[in-house]
Amino acid sequence: MTEVMSGIAPYIYVSTRMRVRKAKLIPREEYLRMLNMGLPEFTRLIEELEYKREIDELSASFKGVDLIENAMSWNLAKEYQRVIALAPGEMKGFTRDYLHKWDIQNILSILRGKELGFSDGKIRAVLVPAGALDAPTLDRLIAESSSERIVEQLPIKQMSAILSEGLSEALETHSFGKIENELYKYYYATLIKAARGGMKGGLPFLKYVMFEIDIKNITSVFRMRAQGGDNAAQQNIWIPGGSFKPEELERLSSVESTDEVVDSLKKKIKVTVLLDALESLREKKPIYSIESTLIATQLNQMDKVSKRNPFSISPLLVYLERKKYEVSNLRAIARGKEAGLDAEILEKYLVM
Amino acid sequence: MAIESMTVEAATALASGYTAIGAGLAVGLAGVGTGIGEMGIGAAAVGATAEDRGMFGLALLFTVLPETVVIFGLVIALLLIFV
Repeated sequence: MTEVMSGIAPYIYVSTRMRVRKAKLIPREEYLRMLNMGLPEFTRLIEELEYKREIDELSASFKGVDLIENAMSWNLAKEYQRVIALAPGEMKGFTRDYLHKWDIQNILSILRGKELGFSDGKIRAVLVPAGALDAPTLDRLIAESSSERIVEQLPIKQMSAILSEGLSEALETHSFGKIENELYKYYYATLIKAARGGMKGGLPFLKYVMFEIDIKNITSVFRMRAQGGDNAAQQNIWIPGGSFKPEELERLSSVESTDEVVDSLKKKIKVTVLLDALESLREKKPIYSIESTLIATQLNQMDKVSKRNPFSISPLLVYLERKKYEVSNLRAIARGKEAGLDAEILEKYLVM
Repeated sequence: MAIESMTVEAATALASGYTAIGAGLAVGLAGVGTGIGEMGIGAAAVGATAEDRGMFGLALLFTVLPETVVIFGLVIALLLIFV
């Protein structure tokens, strides 16, 4: 009994901390206010928020919007590392696995940056060391002379194997899309394996991962349709493990009628919020608007699940995702304001 | 010891013994129940306070709410012993 009781308390403690942190994230009204500010006013406001410490740390190396962007990435990475440190028991493993996607993003940014001939400093600026690869490891990889050496030196062996298999083709075609798809398939397969590993709390995690896969696949269907659905099979973008089979998704990406696509998708979906979101996609919308609708749906569903399972991995995942979108929203506002975009246009790209 | 062979004094002593055990159980079990209740609230209260110091007062108030259960136990114990 003692073991059971001492086992629950850390979950309650961490879930509560995540809830409080989530409540402190920037609310919708604040974003709307930010959209109407000028760049200097926006910069001052950011400096007053929790990014102050990182802005002070990096102010010697960067200026202006670059400073804001880097400070946010740095803050996000540190925050994620703090969350991993806080997470108890099985939650720590699930969180680490979940944050593994940042490793994929970072390594691809390095490879793409090298391929396009960007300087080490510019590549470093877009990295978010929130996964298993920490900042010194990423620095070492950036300093490598060639893409082949980067892949060889990568400490995550499974990722290294996938990369070395497709690297020569990617370098020839100047496209890392295929490798990216393979890496994300490996990532989701790892998450499903971890969730089905029989550990406590695995079921809510599995449900969440499957939902995320569905959202990713549905987004890809609409993206392929917007592009004309020509290279879906070639790119093999569909992620297995969700509610849909890859063949089914491939067929849907080439169907002409949006109503037919929505009807077919709705047949397999049980989550109410996603059903509602799919219904709203019947009318013709630009792809960025479809993507924002689906992301908002995913976040809303995560919120719901976290309320239903208050002491599981869910509150933690909700916070991680919401924090990610806070940073991406602020970056979008900063870059948009720098480019002189209108508030109405910027608003469409924000996830609120 | 058979009931028939008991003296009045022995029976009274036995009854007060049982009463004392009952009173002990009332306070003890209520204490255990309170502890279980406070475990969750306490963990959440510490978590909330760690993130926001301003929540300390409210968190403390919520943490001590299950203490009322011990008071109920104590009242039962006092009734058993003194009434």
